[in-house]
Amino acid sequence: MRGAGAARVIPLVAAGAAAAAGVLILVVAADAPSRAREHATREEARAAASLYELPGVTEADVLSLLGGRARIMAPEAGGAGPGAHAYRAGALEPAAWIAVEPRDEGSRWPWAPSVLALLGALCMAAWAAGRRRSPPPPRFPAAPAFLCAAMFALVAVTAQQWARGELEAISTSRLAGGLRAAEIAGAAGADPEAAARVAGLPWASGAALGEPDRIWTMPREVGAAIAADPRLRSAPRSTVAAGGAIYHRGTVALRRGPAVRAETAADTLHLVFLGYEETTSPAVALIASSLGCVLLVSLVLFLLPLAARPRALSRTLAAWGFLTPAAALLLLFTFGPLLFSLWISLHDWRLVDPAHPFLGLANYRALLGDGAWWSAVRNTGVFTLHVPLAMAVALSLALLTRESRRAVRWARLALFLPSITSVVAIAVIWKWLLNDGYGLANRVLGAIGLGPVAWLSSPDIALVSLMVIGVWMVVGYQMVVFQAGLAAIPRVWYDAATVDGAGPWQRFRHITLPGLRHTLFFVLVTSVIGSFQVFGLVYVMTEGGPLGATDVAVYHIYREAWEFLRFGNAAAMSWILFGVVFAATWLHFRFLERRGAHA
Amino acid sequence: MTREPRAVVLKGVRKRFGDVTAVADVDLEIRPGELMVLVGPSGCGKSTLLRLIAGLEERDAGEVWIGDRCMDEVAPGGRDVAMVFQSYALYPHMTVAENLGFGLRVRGAGTPAIEGRVREVADVLGLRGLLSRRPGQLSGGQQQRVALGRAMVRDPGVFLFDEPLSNLDAALRLQTRDEIAALHRRLGTTMIFVTHDQVEALSLGQRVAVMDRGRVQQVGTPAEVYERPANLFVAGFVGSPPMNRLHLVRGRDGRLAGGPFVFPGPLDHREATLGVRPEDLTLAVVTRPGPGPQPDSVGMSGGAHSSAEFTATSLRVESLGSEQRVHLDGPGEAAWVARAPSALRVAAGDRVEVAVVWERTHLFGPDGSRIGAASRPGGASPP
Repeated sequence: MRGAGAARVIPLVAAGAAAAAGVLILVVAADAPSRAREHATREEARAAASLYELPGVTEADVLSLLGGRARIMAPEAGGAGPGAHAYRAGALEPAAWIAVEPRDEGSRWPWAPSVLALLGALCMAAWAAGRRRSPPPPRFPAAPAFLCAAMFALVAVTAQQWARGELEAISTSRLAGGLRAAEIAGAAGADPEAAARVAGLPWASGAALGEPDRIWTMPREVGAAIAADPRLRSAPRSTVAAGGAIYHRGTVALRRGPAVRAETAADTLHLVFLGYEETTSPAVALIASSLGCVLLVSLVLFLLPLAARPRALSRTLAAWGFLTPAAALLLLFTFGPLLFSLWISLHDWRLVDPAHPFLGLANYRALLGDGAWWSAVRNTGVFTLHVPLAMAVALSLALLTRESRRAVRWARLALFLPSITSVVAIAVIWKWLLNDGYGLANRVLGAIGLGPVAWLSSPDIALVSLMVIGVWMVVGYQMVVFQAGLAAIPRVWYDAATVDGAGPWQRFRHITLPGLRHTLFFVLVTSVIGSFQVFGLVYVMTEGGPLGATDVAVYHIYREAWEFLRFGNAAAMSWILFGVVFAATWLHFRFLERRGAHA
Repeated sequence: MTREPRAVVLKGVRKRFGDVTAVADVDLEIRPGELMVLVGPSGCGKSTLLRLIAGLEERDAGEVWIGDRCMDEVAPGGRDVAMVFQSYALYPHMTVAENLGFGLRVRGAGTPAIEGRVREVADVLGLRGLLSRRPGQLSGGQQQRVALGRAMVRDPGVFLFDEPLSNLDAALRLQTRDEIAALHRRLGTTMIFVTHDQVEALSLGQRVAVMDRGRVQQVGTPAEVYERPANLFVAGFVGSPPMNRLHLVRGRDGRLAGGPFVFPGPLDHREATLGVRPEDLTLAVVTRPGPGPQPDSVGMSGGAHSSAEFTATSLRVESLGSEQRVHLDGPGEAAWVARAPSALRVAAGDRVEVAVVWERTHLFGPDGSRIGAASRPGGASPP
């Protein structure tokens, strides 16, 4: 009875924990914009102070920059303004104290996530109340854990979306402020470095001046806004483009000397957004904390019903103790990277750029229209066609070598060798064999009077050449698997069929093929999966060429990640590939299960 | 439906596997419509012989005739035989109906014809409700019926059974045995049935061929094989418990002697073996060890009050309900077993007098072949 009571308590505890975690998420999410707002206010005050210090800039200029939210105060009053933030003007001499009121944009509390969290908690409570069955066996409470996780994820994503909107609003206002500051400074005849300092540009401190080619990232929408701004469109060094391109080479606008005026300084204004970029993505913390909550809650839920039975509890704890090292390794090196790559795929993630703005499914959406990617997918599909061919060859060989004689055993060994040889070695040797000029294949063809074939250098033939090598590589392994499958078919079936009058073809058709169907399916699925993942051959032999004719999915992903350093895109591609492979594997297991029930 | 049954004739058939001779120059004639049982211990070549008839093995020498045709160059499918295997050899990926129809299908029969014939056979064997199942969903007995049905569907001239009952439990085995016998009576087809179980062989076969080490040791009706075993092997193999033996040696006086027995007469052999079946011994209890009650009257088994041949001590008594088996410590060095009616009160340690029905005894020469029945021995052997 105590167990039953504990079981009834579980969902209630889960609902409470879910609600608490939801609130926690909301608080964390709301904190990010408020911090960003504070930061922006501080930056504005600093910019206004620098501006004020410049010759020719009037008090009215500063006030116009801050849109009437500023008060210029006596130094003695600094820091004491009621409801205001007072700042000393950075590294500059304190020419003035400027107090800036925080922007009053009204707090848009994330109602939707709050309502969701509440609804979820209510659902769980209702579920708990409505459940009228005997206490479940003490196993991991999958359903509550799943519900918790789903709800946390929902809340986290909504909160993230909301926080992102807030942050974008702040950064847009900072864009406007920076722009005005640069304008005022330019109009007052200040030199560009001073203007940059006023605008809060990162190289105002001189740290980034030596790296004119650093690439800075900004959100697509802001990039588009800059590109649409007529003042910026004319800027000579700006490479900002509307729509897709979202990075801008911060070139040497400020190195052109004192003659440069406002429009050139404005060229670099996009860097104002760095303030925004730094405060973006509280979602990492959100998701991590919600996952932690889920784990903690499920652990408590799991142990709660066991608490009444100390023996079971100690056994369970001991079991988990033994499991922990392996589970930790698995989490750290398998599921961790897996989830991390999923995380990366939702962001604009470049190795050279410290900012990783969240894009949602934009990477995936962009892949839909990415011709190069689809070409790689198509090439992978075509390459995979070598699998049925290889299987036919392997099955024939397995049937031929069924009666194991010595010569046949040697042949079997020879055929199996490619399977245990390094792909790189194979690729290098085949590359040599198929070389246009001195390759053995063309030499032999030449000797019998046939023209040289551009095995690897013709876009029409290269992929076919790779497929032939693919057949050669897998045929030995497949043959050995088929031999095992054949050996498992009882001889007596053949005897019975022979007495019934079945000829060799009919025996093959009615006994061998059905008897091998599991083996065939296994080989097909594993080989197709292996073929989806082909990389070494392409990497060593053709590097995706010629003209992308052998650019397969994994190689494409590799180049996207490690040559173009676009990790976000590469991760999205990886997950698409993963989806395909996973679907194939799942089908395989479903099939085996269904068949297993019969045989 | 049934056709003229075929005869099967084997002439000097030989088969070797490497150094092992599985079948050595076997001559055997199975008459049309006969149910012949090949029986012998494991590895005696009976299954190989069956596979040679089916054409599943290539013979090394000799001829196999089925009907009036020599089968030397005929493929198994063309021999007009059907075979039922020990493991049934049902195809797991086909339904019962497909299994039954397979033989017709590979011969190119039309679907309606196959379906009609399958239904016919399924009705005979009571498989009608199982036609759409797969073998994995059937019990052992049902699988056995399907295997039988698969052979029947083609209406062959000869049925070959390769230990078809070995995988069934005891009760089902008896039932299926009767069914096969009934099937044979109804179809009248030639059937060759291989088994290692001599009880099965004697109860099922019209004639029985006992095989050992690749050779046919004796062919005959079950009664012939049991009552006049051609040699010591047959004598020992057929019958349970096996025939009691006593080694006889010719003494200096020219008479064969062994244990308490000395046989008169001009026997040409230096040595011989006396064989007596356990049921041909008659027991009478004479004394009981210890202070317990002595048998008030001498209990006799068999009823005849003949004079006992020898006395022995019962070592162990196995009660089988309908009868009991009494293990004796004699005669001589031998340890015989006697079958006694369960009414006889005999216990381990009892002293018993044993009488022998001499007309039913067997005498085998030194090469193991049967000489004849032993006559009543003369007086006790000289000291």
